[in-house]
Amino acid sequence: MRHLTEHDEAEINSILSREDDILPSSGFTVSVMDAVRREAAVPPPIPFPWKRALPGLVVAGLALALIVVAGVAAIAQLGKARTPQLSMSMPAVPPPIFHGGIGSAVIWTVLALLVAFVSVKLSMRVGSGRT
Amino acid sequence: MNASATDDQADVERVLAGHISAFEGIVRRWQTPLVNLAYRFCHDRGRSEDMAQEAFLRAYRGLGQWRRDAAFSTWLFALATNLYRSELRRIPARIVSVSLEDIAEPPDPRASDRGLEDGDYDRDLAVRRAVGALPAKYREALTLFYFHDMDIGTAARSLGLPEGTVKARLFRGREILRSKLPQLLAVPHLKEAL
Repeated sequence: MRHLTEHDEAEINSILSREDDILPSSGFTVSVMDAVRREAAVPPPIPFPWKRALPGLVVAGLALALIVVAGVAAIAQLGKARTPQLSMSMPAVPPPIFHGGIGSAVIWTVLALLVAFVSVKLSMRVGSGRT
Repeated sequence: MNASATDDQADVERVLAGHISAFEGIVRRWQTPLVNLAYRFCHDRGRSEDMAQEAFLRAYRGLGQWRRDAAFSTWLFALATNLYRSELRRIPARIVSVSLEDIAEPPDPRASDRGLEDGDYDRDLAVRRAVGALPAKYREALTLFYFHDMDIGTAARSLGLPEGTVKARLFRGREILRSKLPQLLAVPHLKEAL
């Protein structure tokens, strides 16, 4: 295989430097300015209402933390109740959170519906711009 | 500060003050370089204008982000280069779809019968295709290096990379070209010259 000489390198430099220049088409400036004017006519995006959303976010965060804590506690209790065998299978006994029977399930369902209802109402109020 | 830089600054101030029409001055001054830079990336006239238009739009949107510690042209080229690189990653140019192995094939022996001009054309095309087939980071460094008249500093600022990195990429890119190009450069008039 032949190696490139300095002459070849200079040739490559020359080829790549003299790449053809093109001129923009006659309507290019007009086209860009039209696009810029369209862009300028668009109203600026509405900023996210952090002030209004903050209470909802805090409540959601707390609810999530409570669920995680309750879940961890339930798993820990379950671990104590079972034999010290290490197993990755699903627990045969449901966690204590379900021990309350149908009454407890109804309470949890009502609570979940309530949270969903409050979330929807809150987001609708924020969306419509009412305080 | 040269006339162009002063004009740029004045136009930017006017646009930021709400005079959108002042942006036209910026477009007129920089349309040819920006379209040509796009053309070096994609080798397609229509697409290069689309890419340049998008670069101007982004410049308009981000005009307030230009810090006066660098020239407006430096900021504009960096913005355009960034956009062109992303655009080419999204939809590669046709010229880069040829693999280096294909590029390295010796030129058609019939080229010698077509005279020196055809040979020159074939060789130029082969070299450009070889550059187009390089991995993106080497190709971009070489493209910017030659676009900015072999000024490493300007190429580095456009790419948003340290000069050392650009130098290393240029070196590596040239190494790859060096390994692939001898066959391509073996056109008759070059053989005579050597």
